[in-house]
Amino acid sequence: MNAHNDRAKATEAAWVLGVMIRQESKEGRLISASEILGRAADQKLFLTPGGGPGEEAANLLRKVVGENEDLHELAAEDGSRSYYSSLFMTEVYARILLQKQAAPLRLIADIVRQNSAAYPRPVPLDLFTQHPFDLTLEEVMNRVKQMSALIEYKDIEPTTTSTSRVFLYSTLHLDSEYAAMLAEWLDVGQSENP
Amino acid sequence: MAGYGGWAGKVLRVDLSTRRSWTEDTLEKYKDYVGGTGIGYKVIWDEVPAGTTPHDPENRLIFAVGPLAGTGVPCSSRTAVTTLWPTCWPKPLVASGNMGGQFATKLKHAGYDALVIQGRADRPVWLSIIDKRVEIQDARRLWGHGIRRTTEAISEIMGADAVVAAIGQAGENLVPMSVAVNSVSHAAEGIGSIMGSKNLKAIGVCGSGSVRFAGDREEWEKLIKYHLSLIGANNQHVVPNSPQPWAEYHASGTRWVAAPKRIWGAAPRPIESGTCDPHDMNRIAYRSNNAVVYLGESVWQYTVRGNGCASCPIRCHTIIKVPSVSEKYGIPDMGQSTCVRLQIGSLFFKEFPDGRRGKTNVEACMVGMHLADDLGLWDNYGQLQRDFQKLYYDGFIRKKLGEKEFKSYSWDKYEKGDPQFLFELLPRIASKEGELGTALGVGTGFLLERWSIPEDLWRTEKELNYWKMGHPKHHSTEEAGQCGLLINLPYNRDPQCHSHSNFIGNGLPLSVQKGLAAELWGSPDALDGRAAYTPMNPSKAKMAKWSLLRKELHDSLSLCNWMAPLSASPLKERGYRGDDSLESKLYSLATGDKKDRQEMDQVAERIFVLHRALTIRDMGTKDMRTQHDTIPEWVFHDKAGKAPFTKGTTVMDRSDIKQAIDMFYDEMGWDRTSGAPTSQAYRRLGMNEVAEDLKKRKLLP
Repeated sequence: MNAHNDRAKATEAAWVLGVMIRQESKEGRLISASEILGRAADQKLFLTPGGGPGEEAANLLRKVVGENEDLHELAAEDGSRSYYSSLFMTEVYARILLQKQAAPLRLIADIVRQNSAAYPRPVPLDLFTQHPFDLTLEEVMNRVKQMSALIEYKDIEPTTTSTSRVFLYSTLHLDSEYAAMLAEWLDVGQSENP
Repeated sequence: MAGYGGWAGKVLRVDLSTRRSWTEDTLEKYKDYVGGTGIGYKVIWDEVPAGTTPHDPENRLIFAVGPLAGTGVPCSSRTAVTTLWPTCWPKPLVASGNMGGQFATKLKHAGYDALVIQGRADRPVWLSIIDKRVEIQDARRLWGHGIRRTTEAISEIMGADAVVAAIGQAGENLVPMSVAVNSVSHAAEGIGSIMGSKNLKAIGVCGSGSVRFAGDREEWEKLIKYHLSLIGANNQHVVPNSPQPWAEYHASGTRWVAAPKRIWGAAPRPIESGTCDPHDMNRIAYRSNNAVVYLGESVWQYTVRGNGCASCPIRCHTIIKVPSVSEKYGIPDMGQSTCVRLQIGSLFFKEFPDGRRGKTNVEACMVGMHLADDLGLWDNYGQLQRDFQKLYYDGFIRKKLGEKEFKSYSWDKYEKGDPQFLFELLPRIASKEGELGTALGVGTGFLLERWSIPEDLWRTEKELNYWKMGHPKHHSTEEAGQCGLLINLPYNRDPQCHSHSNFIGNGLPLSVQKGLAAELWGSPDALDGRAAYTPMNPSKAKMAKWSLLRKELHDSLSLCNWMAPLSASPLKERGYRGDDSLESKLYSLATGDKKDRQEMDQVAERIFVLHRALTIRDMGTKDMRTQHDTIPEWVFHDKAGKAPFTKGTTVMDRSDIKQAIDMFYDEMGWDRTSGAPTSQAYRRLGMNEVAEDLKKRKLLP
């Protein structure tokens, strides 16, 4: 009987963990392992005496993610883990949220490199003032300044349009003249040729 | 008409000279040409002889809609207005303006697929259409007034349900650079003076009917939901311009600007545009904000909401509220429009005291919209403003104007970017006041001729965007290389074609776009990266043909070519595919005349080729290649000296373009030497009578 109850409780807990991740994703947020387990403990979801998030809870979280195709785990460079549901969030967006906290310089570089490679196009500096980046222009400029001193970001270069708007591009994918031309198109040419 | 849905079944004819109106059966005469531009070209072909001039009473003015107007199909409220085009230089030829708003739906609900106006009233009149009741009313009291007052006066008579298309003082004064405006801000370009020449101040329409569709109701509703599911933001941009939780991609520069924290700040209660998941069809109208696209992020604070055409979920005419303009300029603090017409005031100025994205720019837009939508002025897709800047800063205006007239303008205000200057300039264009006002109103080609400026000067300067025959380029080499160039060849004004540019600007990565291009036009090589062009190939010619035919198809069905064709979608689960058979599905179900995609494209080709035949007939030459399909010299020059096919330049190669034109003519079945359709091409499209007529005139290749 106890075993049956334990299984039922575990099933219930697994369900609640899934709902928790999905709800956060629906709201456009990642949720970290520690936050999930903390909330689970508050709700007394686990069998561990005292209700704390022990090894059992961590195992259950892994199991929940493994058994639900829409739930995914992302690991940050410091080893911390976060979760999202692909029903409500793409991996691309989830990684932006992860890097926003864990690797803000890398985030800017990755966005710039992806855009330079895939479209190809430079990225306006003010993109990073928009949600979900939510930086002030001053913060963006400070970060770009920091990046310019680091070897791993030496491919990230600025180009300025005729309206003084600054764009970033990666020299791995765009040469400076082409990047300048594309930035001018995005900033000025496009609105003059609607 | 028996059995067919979609069409209203009647074409309303009005002869203002005889004050007579009557109707014709739409399908008897026009079914092969569907509606819109198709009906317009056919009427001109049948009834307006070569040599007629735009302001002759014999010229026809055709307001025509298509079988999808008034059905509730998304983005289906476009009216094509066809006539002999007054700014087409050196000789007016057939062309069409295209207006949105409520006019198409009301005309259809009144029971008409088209309104054909001929003759000239002996005094100013306006036309009242209330279902079957058609009356020519006295407009002497309205003459001399602007579009807003005219619209209000007629609405007071006809009721709030009426739509009014009116001209302002520009049209009355036979200024070729003039428009008719309906629904506050929806302008039919270039036709104001044609109405003015007929003494027709306005057309008011009330329609209490509906449109019957032939197909099964459930199937119809399913198709409409499917259509909505494929729709993106304005210009069918399918990728948001900032990262969104649902989106795999984001792309700066697309018109999908909605996002969390981006707020319609001047709404009665601020509204967050928010995360607009493409599966949530109730939030389509939040995706676009064209005022922000054109005027910058600061305009979120002035945004009231989107506005737009009947049955359109996109709402591209963003309403903005800028209180400072009431105080400074004494004009209403609300304005609405999109694209070039939104910027009609600001584009006159080279600079503003607070920069190109500052508040003064927004105020200049407000003043410009206020004046142009009331005076009924047209700017020829920004050519008027580019001409003006060039003429002023290169000293032409100083040279051509007498001392007194030159000094009557506040040039210091102009140079400083003071919007007040527009109050001096725009009314004088509308009233043909002085040499400058008169010259600016005749259109670029006639202006250059009037001031003895060689057209070649305009055709060598890239920044002027000038193409040919008095008109600018429209989505040309800067966006689509050879395909864009080809699209700018066949029309008698700027082509107003967006089939290609919507696809190119949709925001998807190049690899995804190339995958879709392969499905649409047979090869991924139909498409190049922006300014990373490769030599001409047959799939680029196919893309050009497809783009042009789709433009004519949309203009004949009343679909918006600023949205359709839905060649891509925002749906990852579809691999971002759109559906370019949507038009034929909608047409077949609405009308009961079942046609597949290829058959529908053939109808579009018939319409397009009739435009070509009209151009050949009225120019009196079959040699389109050298006399009509000409290319401005600037296309072949790069300021930095970059060679064609190197990254970062849009410069074209002469021999490659020669090959491009050959391939395009081959694709169309036109003669390579002359660029004229062959008798076989006409026969294939069921246009034997057109071929026979041209043969008699020795205008067949």
